[in-house]
Amino acid sequence: MLMLLDLIPRKKPDVDALTKKRDIPALIRALSFRDPSIQTAAIHALGDIGPEAVSPLLLALKKKNRYLRLGAIGALAEIRDAGAVPALSAMMNDPGSEVRWQAAIALGEMGSPEAVEPLLAGLEDPDKYVRHGSAISLAKNGYTPSHETGWAWYYAALQDWDKLRALKASALAPLQNLLRDTDRDVRVRAVRALGDIGERDAGPALIRSLSDADREVRWEAVLASRKCGVPPIYLPRGVYQRPRIKKNPLIAGFLNFMLPGLGYGYLGKWWGIMIFQIDITVTVWMFKAEGETNTYLVLFPLYFLLAVHAWYLARNMPEEPA
Amino acid sequence: MSRTSGPGLPVSDIGRLKEAGETRSLIRLLNSTDPRIQWQAAEALGTCGKMAVPLLLEALRSPSVPVRLGVTEALGMIRDPDALSPLVTVLDHDRSLEVRWAAVIALGEMGSAEAVPSVVPVLREPDRYLRFGAAITLGRLGWEPGDTAENAYLLIARQDWEQVRKLGAAAIPYLHELSRDRDPATREAIASVLGQIGDRHAQAACRNALRDRDPRVRWRAVLASMNCGLPSHDLPLMVAGRERTGPDPAAAALLNFLFLGIGYNYLGKWWGFPVFMTYMSVLVLAQLALGPFLPYLIAYPVTAVLGIHTYYLAERMSDF
Repeated sequence: MLMLLDLIPRKKPDVDALTKKRDIPALIRALSFRDPSIQTAAIHALGDIGPEAVSPLLLALKKKNRYLRLGAIGALAEIRDAGAVPALSAMMNDPGSEVRWQAAIALGEMGSPEAVEPLLAGLEDPDKYVRHGSAISLAKNGYTPSHETGWAWYYAALQDWDKLRALKASALAPLQNLLRDTDRDVRVRAVRALGDIGERDAGPALIRSLSDADREVRWEAVLASRKCGVPPIYLPRGVYQRPRIKKNPLIAGFLNFMLPGLGYGYLGKWWGIMIFQIDITVTVWMFKAEGETNTYLVLFPLYFLLAVHAWYLARNMPEEPA
Repeated sequence: MSRTSGPGLPVSDIGRLKEAGETRSLIRLLNSTDPRIQWQAAEALGTCGKMAVPLLLEALRSPSVPVRLGVTEALGMIRDPDALSPLVTVLDHDRSLEVRWAAVIALGEMGSAEAVPSVVPVLREPDRYLRFGAAITLGRLGWEPGDTAENAYLLIARQDWEQVRKLGAAAIPYLHELSRDRDPATREAIASVLGQIGDRHAQAACRNALRDRDPRVRWRAVLASMNCGLPSHDLPLMVAGRERTGPDPAAAALLNFLFLGIGYNYLGKWWGFPVFMTYMSVLVLAQLALGPFLPYLIAYPVTAVLGIHTYYLAERMSDF
């Protein structure tokens, strides 16, 4: 989707000319340009310049612009200077998931043993792209897990569900970590795998998943809980604690009293805004014809009725099925 | 398995309340805003024994869902036969799905075969959680289905679709009945099984599924209908007859005609509101200059054209 800021015209940088001039600051600025072809060209240009560009690129990693940070990491990955590893490792804690993903991929390009530790931490990232990037980079760096739990984290990052099932109890911790994923499909499959493994230790995590925001995750958690020995009497309360999207009757009533029609709008009724506009028009005309006091004497009881109606509608709105 | 202890109230405090026989206080804790305290209080009540039953039965009438839920759980754990009939009443009449679900499971915990006649009809409920709970309870009570219908309902409640498919055409009436389930994933699974059974008697159920509100169910029904012998040229007509979930074109047009911009806003266009505000400002200024009616005479032909534009815009917004 076109963003509002994209409408502001910005001069396209001539990456070829900048490369010939070896204008590192300008090439770094070009990394923040939201055109992938220009960003990629700038990354390659900085990669060709080599170690000379490393220091300014490390400074660029501290900038607030996310595209600039992404581009700078890409350029550092092309240069493959071992001195950049600590800075790239620090980027594995960036708040932006794409930046962490890019950092994980870049660490894989460095071929440095120092990269292994942050990449292992990346296997526990809540974002599936970061986990996947970390697993691929670990393999590129020749890392082999020394124990079953290590393999489980690796397979969880690659979403290899069959291998995770085969690892049984060793896979519990990484599978429970996947229950934090923002992707509901990942959570569904993790819950299903926990159920197939059938370990009682998975019970507390499954009880938490009973109140997941997603309906399918909740249902899979019910099925998995049964397989993991969770007493069935615990299930209804678990599901009851799910987040609910229910309109507040008091808010609906208050809005309809103060701004008649907007209470209906709050409840998702398309005609609420029409009532609001009709009310404004009628109020203005009545003010002119009848004066302020008479207008309010007529309209306030009506507003009160509309408020009660909106309150009643909200109170009786059917809830989304569990 | 022990439930997670919460930081709000130490487990030892809840234990002290239990030892002091403070059943009322424990019941009040069921209404705590901290779910972990609710868990602990319900568990403590479940170990209070028969002397707590009268107060628990009284609390079944509480307006609070967490209280009724916790009390139902506790009654299931205490297993007092006096609670059987009240739990059946909760199962039949409570407004909360979760409380009814807890009641059906609690009846299983009590282990009394007297509950069976009240639980069997739950297999036909339009909610998968209730049906699943009933299947667990009936299994605990050693109930066996007496005929094909009961067997089909039980298998559907367990969501054992492979076994349902093996029942063949005999399962169709029951699948058709339960295709009114509130959950689209279940309706999708039912449509899928109907297609696998592939019998002409499933056509009525497929027709219903083709008009489902959920696109995944409709798609599954299209695939199933082919196997059930529905003429393929009928499918688009049936799908087109579904209840629309997207924006209403007439509503969008009316809004844009009367309040230019709000129709676009209704269709999810962020710029609809600025258009509306501009329109209203121009209209008010024109009214100040030209009087109250002439601006409307000029504005309405314009907004009528834009109303028609909104109508077609909304129509193109497919809800497939």
